[in-house]
Amino acid sequence: MPESKFTPFNLLGLVAGLLFAVFPIFWMVSTSFKVRSEWVTSPPTWISERPTVDNYLTILAPHILLARRGGTDQGDEDFGGSKDDGVGGANADFLNRSAWPGIKGTVIISVCATILSIVVGLMAAISISRYRFGGNFTPFFILAGRMFPPIAIAIPFVIMFGPKVFDMTDTYFGLIVAYAAVTVPFSTWMLKSFVDELPQEIEEASMMDGYSRWGAHLKVTVPLIKGGIIATALFILILNWSEFLFALVLTYTEVQTIPVQLSKYFSATEGTLYGVQAALAMVSIIPLVVIGFFIQRHLVRGLTLGAIKR
Amino acid sequence: MLIFPFILEFVISLTEWQPIYGNFWDAFGSVFTHKINQGVGYNYLITDEPRYLQALGRTVIISVISLCLEFVIGLALATLFLKKFWGKRLWFTALLSPMMIMPVVVGYTWFMLFQYNGPVNQFIGWITFSETNLMWLNTGHLAFIAVITTEVWHWTPLFFLIMLSGLNSVPENPIRAATVLGASNFKIFWTIILPNMKAVIIIAFVIRGMEVIKLFDEIYILTRGGPGTATETISLYLYKLAFEDFRLAYAGSAAFIVLIITVVLINMMLKPIRYQLVEGR
Repeated sequence: MPESKFTPFNLLGLVAGLLFAVFPIFWMVSTSFKVRSEWVTSPPTWISERPTVDNYLTILAPHILLARRGGTDQGDEDFGGSKDDGVGGANADFLNRSAWPGIKGTVIISVCATILSIVVGLMAAISISRYRFGGNFTPFFILAGRMFPPIAIAIPFVIMFGPKVFDMTDTYFGLIVAYAAVTVPFSTWMLKSFVDELPQEIEEASMMDGYSRWGAHLKVTVPLIKGGIIATALFILILNWSEFLFALVLTYTEVQTIPVQLSKYFSATEGTLYGVQAALAMVSIIPLVVIGFFIQRHLVRGLTLGAIKR
Repeated sequence: MLIFPFILEFVISLTEWQPIYGNFWDAFGSVFTHKINQGVGYNYLITDEPRYLQALGRTVIISVISLCLEFVIGLALATLFLKKFWGKRLWFTALLSPMMIMPVVVGYTWFMLFQYNGPVNQFIGWITFSETNLMWLNTGHLAFIAVITTEVWHWTPLFFLIMLSGLNSVPENPIRAATVLGASNFKIFWTIILPNMKAVIIIAFVIRGMEVIKLFDEIYILTRGGPGTATETISLYLYKLAFEDFRLAYAGSAAFIVLIITVVLINMMLKPIRYQLVEGR
């Protein structure tokens, strides 16, 4: 497109759009450093006057807070507990607020589910792209898995994983299978777009040189689309990392994930723990933002199922 | 992995099974005996449960409004990014950032912002020069607006990206020719740029449409479908039916209807871009 001049009016639009995009993120960062008395004020506190890392300590290193409290023997109202709660109950509460079980669960489940999803997706992608397996029907049937509300799949999953059927509720394995089932359509379509870009002649040539079909795919196709596979894997990792619904309905106590844990920082006696929530939110999105930054170029391809490539 | 749940769901949807009735396999067996209720769940949902149809309608309204807003804002921003200005790369990354945040966190962020003594009310107060204390999440219509705002904030960047790649692929020469012949900017936009971007726009709408009807996480965090049922979309309704009322059989019927509707709807929407998806290389 021919270029035109950048007018002050344009600048106004740009700044407005940017404020809209960035302000909520700024607010979350700011809240995660606020002390308890600043979480809910009227008018709202924009930037904390007494910035603190206690919110982060609550979720990452609760024993430091415990030690501090034990030393001074008084409730610290700047984080979780209120001043007059009994030390015993409050201490137990602190340990419950540690985010490590959630982080551990999320990492294990999302990494394993990503690997499973990529392996299945890669095989599906190659068979669709190279052998036109199932004609035009199969790819769209796989896509169907992405179309309807996940809750519609979650209901049969809950029954299927329930007691006396497969008995996989609240286990890592069950969640990994569920996550992979949901992300396979994405990985298949995204990988298919990468395989499509690779000329088939390369594989044919390598088969002429003596590779078997599997050999040709494994030793020629896969290394050549390595970059694409990594981008897809990171993209699927983002999806798995943020999965909420399945974790919500398929976990109870044994397995925890960050998104579900986030939704549990309410407490009957103290109300919503805004600062702690914001801190956990910050911790949980840092990997996503880093990964997202790396695969920025491929993000559109992934989210549009390979329809738009840049 | 996906076919078995469907079959199971269809079978459940024909029964009246609930977890308290005991072992599922007994219920499963009863399907093959006389206990099958010929579509009781389906009749009930359509004739006796207005909440279900309301939730369907609400989902459509939320989808249409937020998709249109996302489209307009995304296209406007993309047009801006065709020009040259200072720090473009940085602005670009900053604009994309909402897209990379996970839905639950997006829900929380806006939950904080929409508190009655939160910054959103403060902004409105500054503009109207008065104290504003709107209960965003506890008032029906306002909660609706809050949900749409959240959705628009989260996914406008995707529209922006798609529109930008579309605008970049519009051929330059017709535009040059039109400029030389004295066409106005608006006319160029309407008669050259838009028709050239038709395919891209349709893709954007179909893909986002597929996602937005599944909207769950943000609403669950923001309002849990409340107040009352003011923001209850179909996903929220199914969730409540299945995991709060434990009427899994009805939820199964409801989900099955949704499934059929979405498959038909999306097949219709996909038709124009089928070629692009399968052959687009």
